[in-house]
Amino acid sequence: MIKIPAKVLIVDDEKDFVEMFSLRLTEQGEKVSTAHSGKEALKVLETVAIDVVILDIRMPGMDGIDTLKQIKALHPVVEVILLTGHGSTETAVEGMKLGAFDYLMKPADFEDIKIKLENARKRKDEQEERIRKAELRLLLRSSGDL
Amino acid sequence: MNKLDDDKIRLLLVDDEEGFRSTISKRLTKRGMKPVQASDGKECLDILEKEPMDVVILDVKMPGISGIDTLKAIKQTHKKIQVILLTGNVAITDGIEGIKAGAFDYLTKPVEIDHLVNKIKQAFEMIRLEKEKQKELEYRAKLEKKMIDTDRLVSLGTMSTGIAHEINNPLAIINESAGFMKYILGTPEMLKIPRRDALMMGIGKIEKSIKRAGRITHQLLGHVKKQESTLSETDIMPLLHETLGLLEKDIKDKQIKINWEIDKKKNIVWIDPYQMRQVLMNLLNNAVHALKENGSITLTTSESNDDIILEIKDNGIGIPKENLGKIFDPFFTTKSFDEGTGLGLFVVHKIVSSLNGKIDVTSKVGKGTCFQLRLPKYDKSNK
Repeated sequence: MIKIPAKVLIVDDEKDFVEMFSLRLTEQGEKVSTAHSGKEALKVLETVAIDVVILDIRMPGMDGIDTLKQIKALHPVVEVILLTGHGSTETAVEGMKLGAFDYLMKPADFEDIKIKLENARKRKDEQEERIRKAELRLLLRSSGDL
Repeated sequence: MNKLDDDKIRLLLVDDEEGFRSTISKRLTKRGMKPVQASDGKECLDILEKEPMDVVILDVKMPGISGIDTLKAIKQTHKKIQVILLTGNVAITDGIEGIKAGAFDYLTKPVEIDHLVNKIKQAFEMIRLEKEKQKELEYRAKLEKKMIDTDRLVSLGTMSTGIAHEINNPLAIINESAGFMKYILGTPEMLKIPRRDALMMGIGKIEKSIKRAGRITHQLLGHVKKQESTLSETDIMPLLHETLGLLEKDIKDKQIKINWEIDKKKNIVWIDPYQMRQVLMNLLNNAVHALKENGSITLTTSESNDDIILEIKDNGIGIPKENLGKIFDPFFTTKSFDEGTGLGLFVVHKIVSSLNGKIDVTSKVGKGTCFQLRLPKYDKSNK
C-alpha cells in the first residue's frame, strides 16, 4: 500500500524538539511544516494546506489553547493534536472540548503519535468527503429546480 | 480537692525527733494522708531512691546531712518532688535559704496541723499543674513537628512538580533524537555499517531510560491537584474490592489472607473516588509487598464525629523506626529502582491531604505496619 503523506504542522517553542520531531516525521514520509509560536502557526495555515496540527499547550505569548481556538475558528476542518509537557491532563481535556482531536503527553511514544496522526488525518479526509457530497447534493438539487 | 485525692499524695516526713514525727504522722493520718517516715537526711534519700514521692516534709535542723543539703540533693535527682521545710522559730534565714534552693515553702515549728495540711495540698496542686504544663509543652512540640513535616512535604511537592515539568521537555527532545537515530540506522543503506549493533544497543538503553524517567515525571505530575476533583459520597467497600482484584495475582501467589472488619454502616466517605483508588492501590500494594507467604491484611473501619477511619494493617516485615519519619518523602524507597520510584506514599500523602483527610502510620519491625486513613464523612467546605 502506498502511504499518502499527511500534511503536518508542528508547533512548539522548543526549537530542538520541533527540529528532531519534524526530521522523524519526514523520514516516515509525512510532509512537515514547522512553527515556533501560535502566531507563526496561524501564518503558516494561511499559506500552506495542512491536515493535522501538532500543538504544544505551554508556549509563551499565545498559548496552545488560544491558538487552538483561533485555528478552529479560521480552519474548522484542520485537526489538532495537543502536546502536553505537564501531567495535568485537564487542559488537554479542555482542549478536546474545544475541538482538538486528541492529546499526547511528552515524552510521547512514537507509535502512539503515528496512530493518532493517522486517525486525525482520516477524520479530516472523511469530513471533507462529506462536505464534498453535501455540496454535490446541493448542486444537483439546485439544477433540478431549474 | 477531696479526701480521695489527699489519699493519693505520696508523702515523706523527715525529722530526727521521733516524738514529733509520730504526732504529726498520727494527725495527718486522721486527715486522710499516710506519710512515710524517715529519721534523717540519709534515710530520706534512700527511701526516695526506692519509692516515688510527691511531697517531702523536711526538718532543717538534723544531725548528719543538714536539711538544706538534703533539699539540694532531692532537687538534683528528683526535680518533680516538692519540699516543705520545717524550721525552728528563730531560724527564718534557713527558710529563706531553703526557698532559694528550691523548696516549695517553709513552716516554723511548732507546726499547726491544718496549716501543714493546706501547704501539702498546695504543693501537690503545684505538681499537678506542672505535669499539665509539661504535657501541653510536649503536645505543642509534637504538633509543631507535624506542621513542619507537612510544610516540608508541601514545598517538596511544589518543587518536584516544577522540576518534572521542566524535565519533560528536554526528555521529549532526547526521545525524538534517539528515535530518529534508530530510524536512520534501520534504513537499508545503514544495514552494513560497522558496529551497527553497538550503536543500536546504545540507543536501546537511551530509550529504556527515557521511559523510566518519563514514568517518574508522570507519576510526580499525575497527582497535581485537579481543578475540579469530583468529590462525592463514596462507598469505600467496592473501591477496596476493586483494588484487591487488581492485586489478585500477588495475593494468591503469597496466599495472603484478607480480614474484613468493615462496619457496613461506617464506609461512606466524601472523597474523589478516582484519587481514592490510587491511594488504596498504593497502600494495599505496599502491604502485599511487605508480606511473606501466608501473611494477612486486616481492613478495619471505625468513626469519629467527622471522619471515617480506615485502617490497613499487615503483619509483614514492618518499617524500622529510623525510616518512619521519611516514608512520605519523595524518592525515599528501600526498593530497587525497577520495583518502585519512591513516590507512592508521597503521592498518597498529597492526595489524602487534598481530600481533607489525614494519614498516620504505626509500625514495628517484624510485627507489621498499620496505615490509618481519616477521611471526611461529609463536605467540610460547605459546613
